[in-house]
Amino acid sequence: MYFCIKIFSMSIILFTFLLLFGAYCAGLLGSLTGLGGGVIVIPLLTLAFGIDFHYAIGAALVASIATSSGSASAYVKEGLTNIRLGMFLEIATSVGAVLGAAAALWMPTNVIAIIFGAVLLLTVAMQFRQKTDYIGVKGSNLAKKLKLFGSYPTKDGTVQSYELTNVSGGFSVMVLAGALSGLLGIGSGVLKVLAMDSCMKVPFKVSTTTSNFMIGVTAVTSAVVYLQRGYIEPGIAFPIMVGVLAGAMSGAKLLKHLDVRVLRKIFAVAILLVALNMIYNGIIGKF
Amino acid sequence: MGSNLSSKNNMNTLIGNTLRIGVFAACIIALLGGIWYIASSAGSSLPDYTTFHQGDASYTTVEGIFKSVFALSATGWIQLGVIVLMLTPVMRVVLSLVDFGIQRDWLYVIITGIVLLVIIVNSLVGVG
Repeated sequence: MYFCIKIFSMSIILFTFLLLFGAYCAGLLGSLTGLGGGVIVIPLLTLAFGIDFHYAIGAALVASIATSSGSASAYVKEGLTNIRLGMFLEIATSVGAVLGAAAALWMPTNVIAIIFGAVLLLTVAMQFRQKTDYIGVKGSNLAKKLKLFGSYPTKDGTVQSYELTNVSGGFSVMVLAGALSGLLGIGSGVLKVLAMDSCMKVPFKVSTTTSNFMIGVTAVTSAVVYLQRGYIEPGIAFPIMVGVLAGAMSGAKLLKHLDVRVLRKIFAVAILLVALNMIYNGIIGKF
Repeated sequence: MGSNLSSKNNMNTLIGNTLRIGVFAACIIALLGGIWYIASSAGSSLPDYTTFHQGDASYTTVEGIFKSVFALSATGWIQLGVIVLMLTPVMRVVLSLVDFGIQRDWLYVIITGIVLLVIIVNSLVGVG
């Protein structure tokens, strides 16, 4: 890759500072656009730094856990997360994550890169989707038996209760979300929101925060395997963890004062280019 | 109802604090290890990250990591930070399990138990 930074001639201190800076930007953009840190860390490490895909997956997992737990601590107070829903669907994602982490062992890196590119394309498509908040959804019997109905506080101080439907559909998409998370090291937040939002008709605010809760747990399920395989390299993990967390925290602060709609559109185009680059490099066998 | 609500708030505060402290502790530990790692790296060249190498036991097994931590190795401390970070969401699941138990919601005690079991079994046998 001709555009790579030549890391092999670099000192450890310079490499660490460049990575710290890159991770800060990844955390900042991930938080402003709602994509999470992991999605940006993989192209940053593989395409810009020329680091091996395995190490990039390990670093992305660390970034996913850090951003998930970091923002969850703020979400808990707001009372938007549906813990029962998250926990029930987490069975699907953690089993999926086990399968994905096992598949990563035999799957060629170039195929993983192409799948990652495809997930990025889906992410871009979701950024331009119309967000509809479902009101008056008639819940299904199974959802009721599983006590998945919930309520959340609205801005004007009232409590909005909601029902949801199509539990088995949402559950199936979650297995796929978990498998992709285990395979790629990302949180698969896009698929998680898709499963809750499009399949189960969960209100948007609830699906976003519940997905964030799940991302951390799913990422840990595959991280316990990847740590033991040596994918989590200390020299890479430390600048990524510190940088992404600091970036995500600044992002959360900025988000309150900033209109991010334009930024999200610009960023979607950038992600689209990265996705095509990933797929192209995967097809010609660069990884 | 009143006591129910306040116990819910207590649990949410506990979960929020656990997440905050976990992430903060992980970050501090990794940062300390990282500063040390940079300080002791003077003169040595960057490891080859362009190709994947099988990891060394000193930072890929829990036993190895704890040995490195006690031997005051910089990479051992960074990995300890990673482990603390990984334990943070797990702690949240454990706290939810306790919370469901307090509410006598046995269905969700079982569901949360399954999630914990998958994580634990996977960390024991999923090495590949």
